[in-house]
Amino acid sequence: MKRPVAVVGVGQTKHAARRSDCSIPGLVREAIDRALLDAGLEHRDIDAVIVGKAPDMLEGVAQPEQFLVGALGGHLKPVLRVHTAGSVGASTAIAAAVHVQSGLYDRVLAVAFEKQSEGNTMWALSPSLPFTPPLVAGAGGFFAPYCRAYIKKTGAPMHIGPMIAANARENAARNEYAHLREPMTIEDVMSSPMLWEPIRYLETCPSSDGAVALVIANEEQARRGPRKPAWIKGAASYAEAMWVPGRDQVSPLAGKVCARHVYAQAGIHNPWAEIQTAEIYVPFSWFEAMWLENLGFCAEGEGWKVIDRGDQRFGRHLPVNPSGGVLCTNPIGASGMLRLGEAALQVMGRAGAHQVDGVQHALGHAYGGGAQYFAMWIVGAAV
Amino acid sequence: MTASLRNVAIVAFAQRPIVTRDEHRMATEMLYPVVREALAQAGVERDAVEYQISASTDYLDGRPFGFVAALDVMGSWPPRQDLHLEMDGAFAAYYGWVKLQAGDVDSVLVATHGKTSEGQPERIFNLALDPYYHAPLGLDPISTSALQASAYMARTGITDADLARIVARNRAAGARNPDAQLREAVPAEVLQRAPFHVRPLRESYLPALGETATCLVLAAEGVAERLCERPVWIHGAHHASELQTLGARDLSRSASARLAAERALALAGLASAAEVDLIELSATTPVEELILLDALGLDGRSPDGPVVNPSGGPLCGHPIMSTGAIRLGEAFRQLAGRAGARQLPQASHAIAHGAQGHCLQQNVCFVLGTERRWR
Repeated sequence: MKRPVAVVGVGQTKHAARRSDCSIPGLVREAIDRALLDAGLEHRDIDAVIVGKAPDMLEGVAQPEQFLVGALGGHLKPVLRVHTAGSVGASTAIAAAVHVQSGLYDRVLAVAFEKQSEGNTMWALSPSLPFTPPLVAGAGGFFAPYCRAYIKKTGAPMHIGPMIAANARENAARNEYAHLREPMTIEDVMSSPMLWEPIRYLETCPSSDGAVALVIANEEQARRGPRKPAWIKGAASYAEAMWVPGRDQVSPLAGKVCARHVYAQAGIHNPWAEIQTAEIYVPFSWFEAMWLENLGFCAEGEGWKVIDRGDQRFGRHLPVNPSGGVLCTNPIGASGMLRLGEAALQVMGRAGAHQVDGVQHALGHAYGGGAQYFAMWIVGAAV
Repeated sequence: MTASLRNVAIVAFAQRPIVTRDEHRMATEMLYPVVREALAQAGVERDAVEYQISASTDYLDGRPFGFVAALDVMGSWPPRQDLHLEMDGAFAAYYGWVKLQAGDVDSVLVATHGKTSEGQPERIFNLALDPYYHAPLGLDPISTSALQASAYMARTGITDADLARIVARNRAAGARNPDAQLREAVPAEVLQRAPFHVRPLRESYLPALGETATCLVLAAEGVAERLCERPVWIHGAHHASELQTLGARDLSRSASARLAAERALALAGLASAAEVDLIELSATTPVEELILLDALGLDGRSPDGPVVNPSGGPLCGHPIMSTGAIRLGEAFRQLAGRAGARQLPQASHAIAHGAQGHCLQQNVCFVLGTERRWR
């Protein structure tokens, strides 16, 4: 009964601190043109466009998909706008897949972008709310306590975060689209300024301009396309309330439930054994250890040990974020879709210099809000 | 196009009465009771609904991630399958329908919120225009609507008196709707004496901006019947957008509304919009009502045909982000026999329409019926 759905085209921009060579429509168009070319399709072949980005305050344009309809190729087509905080790129791609799965649409374009140089991200992410003391600390100030709680809970040694950051940079050097590609050592990270204990300057994601687009299609189109598709074997997006007594913010239940649901759809019983690479949302170094546990790749309290052994490095058992991930490229709204798109490229065998060998199943993952929103998919090389 | 779709119904709808300013409640405090009321109508607790969608926009909330606060009052514990659309609730309901067509869930909750009184909507929606070429001109939704009205009046020869009569009809209907914001009938001659806000739109021709929260529950056949005695079935739905660029569009017509309506009617197996009993339109000016009826292939000046906006429509209350969801809710109430003093006799088919963006840039159209569409 369930219809097979696949990624048949992937396109992304060169990501940078400031893409002053293009406007917002130009940035979005760069990713879309590449995705359509990759899929061997044109705008007229696309039935609907699903757009995602993070808060509109980042660029100062309210509901910017409206002025972008032309750039999106959305004239006289359905255009839907998704916003699920940091997870939005992933939930947008999943919403596009649901459109195809419904049978109502054959080929859907999913687009996500952020052009952070147009505004001030720290300001946009530091609202002053009634009855709430203002943090004025952006996302890093918000998430640092979660990392401290993780360290306290697991007894992880302090070099784990810097190891993650240095490894991400090593990976990004193999990804021509990544924003930060300059190599750095663990010592470089440990000697960089402390921003929000325990997160140092070189352990935090950059602020990037970038966009990504995916063409998601039904089985017939996927088999006809010029390239090997990435079959979407399982996908889901979950969210949980903020104010629940006893809510585990370090390893949120929504992340565990979402992962279980996606693994069940994909027929995966042991993710460590059955998934060959994972692109997971790591805006601050420590989250790589935290999510390895939350996603069930290892037992609770063991995530930092995977890092310490280097088992998540390129060429080892489970390369995590072979693209360099969010730590090296973070156009916020696009970051989640970049994870899902990179996972697709890995099963298509087209990830270039950062291709992992023999990928049958890859995980793409993103989170957002106060670690409340989770969206992920498993893509496979076989239908 | 699939020949046969899954039968999906609206099984519950709750809203707070639209008010100019709900001084004592935050958006989430307005939303919580309607979520509870919608679940009570369906006779279930939150665990019984498998998927949730919220609809709101950060700029109206005056903060990034305004929808995150809505998670708590939507009952998001244990964790729920969830999506948030930065769109009017009617578009969120459309995605709910698509999700139900995909077949892996049987029920969806759609919640909308927006407090227009806490910001300046005319400034906020200026920011929705092209930031390079249009926003700096200082245009707002009323001035762009006025451009549209001028274009329509120039093309069709419709007069100021015609516009006043349309508003008067909506105001008379709103007087029968306890959830409407403006509840006094006003004669056309009085409306026509109001000063112009932006020519050719008089102050009396503009929507009453208000605030509310709404909750819809959708369910697939097999579940819908358990949650509602008289489910209202979705026979067809579609939406479309067009370029925002005002100079690139014929503002006197809505190509995207026409496309959405044609596709929704075709799915419903109806030859014409004239076959339905009532139409709830997200028309925020009398000219938008005429343009939308044109798009549906109807003559807005003819006394025959479907009843338009028996609720009073957005002219009697326009809570941004919820306006389209209320159109669906009102159509549901009419077809389910829950419309109180405004109940139409024996209505079996309705069209519900949602819109957003300057000059009706994005339109969604639903065809609803009292019987199942597909066998």
